[in-house]
Amino acid sequence: MKFRKIINPRPLWAATVAACALLMSAGRGVGETTTEGLPFPIIERFENFGHDQGIPAHKVHVVLKTSDSKLWIGTWDGLCVREENGKFKRYGPEDGLTHKMVLCMVEDPKTGDLWIGTMRGLNKFSGGKITRYVQTDSGLPNNVVYGVDVADDKLWVATAAGAGVMDLKTGAWKIYDHTNSNMHEPWCYSIKGAKDVVFIGVWGGGILEHNPQLGTFKAYHDPDGDFHYDLVPDDGPINDITSWIAWKDGVLWQNTYFGMSRYDGKYWKTWVQDKSPLPSNFTQFAWPVGKYCWIGTDRSATVTDGTYWANYMLGDKGESILEIHRPKQAAEKRILPTGICNAFVLGIWADENEAWFATANGLSHGIFSPRPSVPKVAAAK
Amino acid sequence: MKQSTFALWFFGCLAVALVAGYGGHAWSVAHVRRWTGRPELGFTTCTHCHVATESLAWSKPRARHPAPAGLAVSPDGKKAYIALDEMNEVVEAELGSRQVTRRLAVPGRPFGLVLDQEGEHLYITCRDADRVVAVDARSFKELESVAVGSAPVAIACAATPEGERLVVANSLSDNLSVLSASPLKELARPQSGREPYAVAIARDGTVAFAANRLAVPENYLAPANSELTLVDPRSGKMLIRGTFASAHLAEGVATVPQRSWAITPLIKVRNLVPITQVANGWVMSCGLAISDHRGNIIQMPLDEAHDYFADPSGIAVDPAGKRAYIASGGSDRLTVVDLDRLAAWLEKASPGARREAIEDLTLSSEYVIARIPTGRNPRQVVISPDSKWVLISERLDDGVLIIDTATLKPAGRIALGDGGSGDPIRRGERVFTDAKYTYQRQFSCRSCHPDGHVDGLSYDFDGDGIGDNLLDNRSLQGVAGTGPFKWIGKNPTLAIQCGIRFARVLMRTDPIPPRELDDLSHFLNSQPPPRWERKQHADLTPQQERGKRIFFATMTTTGKTIPRERQCHTCHRPPLYSNRLSSSVGTKGPHDTTDMFDTPHLLGVAFTAPYLHDGRAKTLEELWTTYQTNDLHGVTSYFNKHQLNDLVEYLKTL
Repeated sequence: MKFRKIINPRPLWAATVAACALLMSAGRGVGETTTEGLPFPIIERFENFGHDQGIPAHKVHVVLKTSDSKLWIGTWDGLCVREENGKFKRYGPEDGLTHKMVLCMVEDPKTGDLWIGTMRGLNKFSGGKITRYVQTDSGLPNNVVYGVDVADDKLWVATAAGAGVMDLKTGAWKIYDHTNSNMHEPWCYSIKGAKDVVFIGVWGGGILEHNPQLGTFKAYHDPDGDFHYDLVPDDGPINDITSWIAWKDGVLWQNTYFGMSRYDGKYWKTWVQDKSPLPSNFTQFAWPVGKYCWIGTDRSATVTDGTYWANYMLGDKGESILEIHRPKQAAEKRILPTGICNAFVLGIWADENEAWFATANGLSHGIFSPRPSVPKVAAAK
Repeated sequence: MKQSTFALWFFGCLAVALVAGYGGHAWSVAHVRRWTGRPELGFTTCTHCHVATESLAWSKPRARHPAPAGLAVSPDGKKAYIALDEMNEVVEAELGSRQVTRRLAVPGRPFGLVLDQEGEHLYITCRDADRVVAVDARSFKELESVAVGSAPVAIACAATPEGERLVVANSLSDNLSVLSASPLKELARPQSGREPYAVAIARDGTVAFAANRLAVPENYLAPANSELTLVDPRSGKMLIRGTFASAHLAEGVATVPQRSWAITPLIKVRNLVPITQVANGWVMSCGLAISDHRGNIIQMPLDEAHDYFADPSGIAVDPAGKRAYIASGGSDRLTVVDLDRLAAWLEKASPGARREAIEDLTLSSEYVIARIPTGRNPRQVVISPDSKWVLISERLDDGVLIIDTATLKPAGRIALGDGGSGDPIRRGERVFTDAKYTYQRQFSCRSCHPDGHVDGLSYDFDGDGIGDNLLDNRSLQGVAGTGPFKWIGKNPTLAIQCGIRFARVLMRTDPIPPRELDDLSHFLNSQPPPRWERKQHADLTPQQERGKRIFFATMTTTGKTIPRERQCHTCHRPPLYSNRLSSSVGTKGPHDTTDMFDTPHLLGVAFTAPYLHDGRAKTLEELWTTYQTNDLHGVTSYFNKHQLNDLVEYLKTL
């Protein structure tokens, strides 16, 4: 008993496991350094931002850190950029923005221009100036711009009346909708350039893969066709109600309000809350980083590579809960000192060093735990 | 022949002629009414609709002149390189002997030039070929080329930590091409303002400045602002979009390394006041915009209170950053600015004084130290690396003037041709670009029609002095055969349009003499629509084909017949895309006295924004969305967004 009091065996066991995990992770090589044996970083605490820091609305729809390290957020009431003093500077319709409600953003990797979709029109923030595009003065398919992406000098938009593409060199627009593609209906929620093709997330229409060179469309639908249940797991998109899509390094992630799926070009994998650590079927955003992906649900910010999971949630009393799920192990539950400002996560930006979360009630910054240093010899192996 | 027989024969012929004449007249009137769908029309000449473009002046061969465009000087100061865009040539000249020593054929209208720092490579923008050509300066042979945006006109080169970079101004596609020199390839194509026309890179290679000629159409009732675009030449990323407030036609830019400035000559334009109010430079004056590396801009006057130096274009700054040399194309002068004096004034001036400086035409005496006469239409300026010589292209005299910077006097001239005085088109261009025909030499025809095109502004041409009745400026490119002129179709010929009335309401001085007016008409008629040659050989894309079918549609997609008078091609009839008649398309504004406006031709319409008679429509789309009234401007209410986009893409091909 004395021994037990002096040296608690549980931490000792945990330390042993952690050490083993560290050794195992070391064998993965420098590029796959992990935290606690996990293939993704772990958040140790959150910093939260709201009205006091100049964010004009409680609802933050989208967050993006651009290549010049500026942090941009799109809110219910305007576009904001974080200034050096930590405060957020707002841009609204009075500054030229087509509408105050910002829905999506993307940075042109070549020029650094920021493209901003709103409830009424598309905007380009370039060199401090806003250029407006609305459906009556440009080729934009529709003013409600849910998704935007830039790939190969082409700007792609997902709108309430189809997908559109503007050639950034010539300014010419094309529209794809139910009249000239196999789109189920023209309500597009998300769009993502993926090397030679473009994926379009269509509300009720699953996912469309468009090859701009060939002009072809290929549709991915839920094969079991059931609206509420994933009757046959891993058979294709989990549902045709696509709320968001993301693509990185050959892997496509699909969010729906009935679970989520992943497609590696050959195989589909699906997850629902009852049969996986996914906290909720209501998934609405995905942000892949390497082989893992951050997921925004109505109950959590979640990160997973499909095998390991970490869910950041809020308890009934507002406590910050981290659930870590490892294969064939019981879920590990931790209480963090600070939590995400709201568990209804609408947008995410993350890299290997930090994560930002746009939520229904403020903006959160996820501070990662320090990562284990990898022995050089092991890394070399 | 008996008298009675003669009378019978005479009256018989007369009767036949009358019958035939009346019948012909009746037939022609019926023909016009049938094909226009307008029963109120009377006799209209056949050429309103039946025109062969081959018969128009701009489609006929014309004399080409060795007019100098871009200039460059070798690092040792011994050689000059001169682009002769009309001749499709670049020449090398010895500065010592003032003689052309070598010629290189460069197809595609070579325009802008730059040498790399070592003087080993010459880079040339080909305005009509949309390419940049690299030439070995030693062998004077082409090495390679790379595709860039539309109509590249200017190029700058600088060494950066990431390697040598070139920045190209693509004037018609409104963007910049950022190139690596080795290998020669495009890294990025950031959007600029409208019609980027000049570029310069700071000596440290961290920022490139692009001066844009025109304002992007926004609100036609608000002052027009054009743009100074700042990009990172290393990556092509956009840095800052500076604003030339209520100013435009920036055709040159130079950096001042010691002060971290970029200086841009420009025209301060006040198009919203009555165009008759030219006294004291109230409508147009010239200035210098001084920008720091953060895009903060101060405008300073270049003119004097009673003497103006119209159409400032090229600028060069000596390597020590002491002087700037600015060519004024409309006044045939080179202005020399002492930058130390300019900096001293700026330093002591209050923020308010800096803000208002451009309005005070007495200020230029604080820093202008010389006005040097040049040949006709000086446009480009370059300074030798040792600061001894300034070279100025005398574009309409086919020569390059060399100024000794020590004496500020001409030291010689490189003659490239005879000036072309025997060519009425060349003489007409001289009239077009010369400000001597306007009050106190304030502006030239070119001040509103750069390269014969548009400046993208609407002006108040009414003599009522109220200043609320704007008329959109129209392009002169492709103008031959499109009379009558003016938005109300009042002037039957260009000579009348540009004659006495123009002198009264605009130039406020004596009219252009008849002989020179005739030359001016020759020049205007010789102006082809933009990119005409290229368009003749370009195939339409499927989208453009669909747009073409909409343009020529006689029925809606639901099978409903479109009335003849509301079919696009009835009024905008090929080949000029105008039937040269006035029509009502439901665009009468509160201050218009008529709803009948001249049908504009559509050749090059993609480049002539804004649209409608007062310039209220900033894009083509707005013609049929925001400003369409009861399908009067063509039946378009059946369009979906696909069809509108298709039509717009087709119109861009005209």
